[in-house]
Amino acid sequence: MTVLWVLLGLLALIFANVPIAVALGCASVAAMVLESGLRDLPNVPLTLFDGAVKFSLIAVPLFILAGAVMNACGISRRLIALTSALIGFVRGGLAMVTIGTSLFFAEISGSAVADVAALGSVLIPSMKRKGYSKEFAAAVCSSASTLAIIIPPSIPMILYAVMSGASVVEMFVAGIIPGVLGGLLLMVVAYRMAVNRGFPADTAFAWQRVRRTFRDAAWALLLPVIILGGIFSGWVTATEGAGLAVLAATVIGAGVYRELDWGALRRAIVEGAIQTAVVMLLVSTSALLGEYLTAAQVPQKFAAQLLSFTDSQWAVLLLLNFFFLAIGLFLHSAAAIILVVPIVMPLVQQAGIDPVHFGLVLALNLGIGQQTPPVASVLLTACSIAKAQVWDVSRVNVAFIGVLLAVLLLVTYVPAVPMVLVDAFFR
Amino acid sequence: MIGITVSLAMLVIVGVASRKAGFSLVWYDEVAAILLAWLTYYGAALAALRHAHLGLPNLVQAAPPRARRALLVARETVVIGFFSLTAWMGWKLLAALGGTFLVSLPWLPAGVVYSAVPVGAVLFVICELCAMPERWSGEAAE
Repeated sequence: MTVLWVLLGLLALIFANVPIAVALGCASVAAMVLESGLRDLPNVPLTLFDGAVKFSLIAVPLFILAGAVMNACGISRRLIALTSALIGFVRGGLAMVTIGTSLFFAEISGSAVADVAALGSVLIPSMKRKGYSKEFAAAVCSSASTLAIIIPPSIPMILYAVMSGASVVEMFVAGIIPGVLGGLLLMVVAYRMAVNRGFPADTAFAWQRVRRTFRDAAWALLLPVIILGGIFSGWVTATEGAGLAVLAATVIGAGVYRELDWGALRRAIVEGAIQTAVVMLLVSTSALLGEYLTAAQVPQKFAAQLLSFTDSQWAVLLLLNFFFLAIGLFLHSAAAIILVVPIVMPLVQQAGIDPVHFGLVLALNLGIGQQTPPVASVLLTACSIAKAQVWDVSRVNVAFIGVLLAVLLLVTYVPAVPMVLVDAFFR
Repeated sequence: MIGITVSLAMLVIVGVASRKAGFSLVWYDEVAAILLAWLTYYGAALAALRHAHLGLPNLVQAAPPRARRALLVARETVVIGFFSLTAWMGWKLLAALGGTFLVSLPWLPAGVVYSAVPVGAVLFVICELCAMPERWSGEAAE
């Protein structure tokens, strides 16, 4: 009975706009006092501290830092120039460039909001200058950045791996095919829309330009090779790979390109530290609730209940998809992962779903969640850069969300799409 | 903040380099994880100052102004109450740890390591109080 009250109390606090991390903490402390009086209270700070001591999560601030360094030293600008030389000649060229650069960029930075801020601040104004509507510009930038969630390295994937016990590296590998596929499909849709709306190409194709921009961006292109090569080959762990990313970005930015905007870097580091702390506080207070829920066997009972209705993997996945799409409307992806993963994991395992496969389904769901208002961090960032209204952008964005949903269905019901590389190299 | 983030990055880099060079620093991952916890608690206070903590404001925003202000008071009471409790329990913990050192890192006093929780909690309360006037006027204005 206490469980029900605790969960209801948690919901009430969240609805009253108490920060989710604090709501988690309060609900768990209340549960503790109800169950065993004041005896266990002194354990609260210990559990809180130990909840934050997680070596694998060090990758989160480090990948954010790597992204900040890259932005501060002009790596994003060079990537945009190269992609523009390669695919800018087709109709709707700048939209293609946005999607293409997002694909590249997602391989170095770990966060979709960071991507949309970095690329959008350059590409959305140029699209507007070329006569694209601001709604289209914001929509394409926002949807393309969502790919960062499923293309390695990805902060939501790291969080999921830590909360569920799945391997970070396998999660990263599973994201490759769906990510590239999603990027290509987005390009097809953007092309169709560009033709219909008469958006121009960016520039004519010239080998000379490709050669020049390639030479300029070559070092930047080395970054994903170093980071992902190091992680996938098992040479370094994901966390160490994140450290390597910071080092490589700094060396290339300060040593090779010799342009590092210190002021911007400082701001970005503080911003990154705050983002990290927000997520980490959630992780640590969820450790409090986790202890309580595990002791009360809540996740196991929930799994048993649901599986007594149906034991089909596909039905369970369908239910979870609906559940996560609904949650994605209202919750930030990190909060959703931390709240929900510990509760549904036993269900996923008992239904015989591979945790890596499920992780990718979850990542895609929450990625779509970032595109759907009211709570849509990526979309809102894009809208504020484009100075466009959220609902107007959303109307254009429906087509792109359709693509993401198609990829989600494919990943959910054809497990080979995410899993074939994982099976080939790691199992 | 910058200090902790940059030392975290450098520590991980040095840790990898030393492992690859053949002499593993056994303490590096543990110290790095502790730094992450520090980043969490000090950063969380800063995030409170900047209104950066994740929540669900939509329902409250839809409420009439009066109810909104009442909910804000309730919210602040809950937040400050939780962190005051954490700070209090944290000080008790520090007192209990006294002069002990970490088992794995005998040169590091446990009190210093765990101090991040009570100190961070006190800072959180202070930052929350500093940010309150802005929140209040935000609710009153709309």
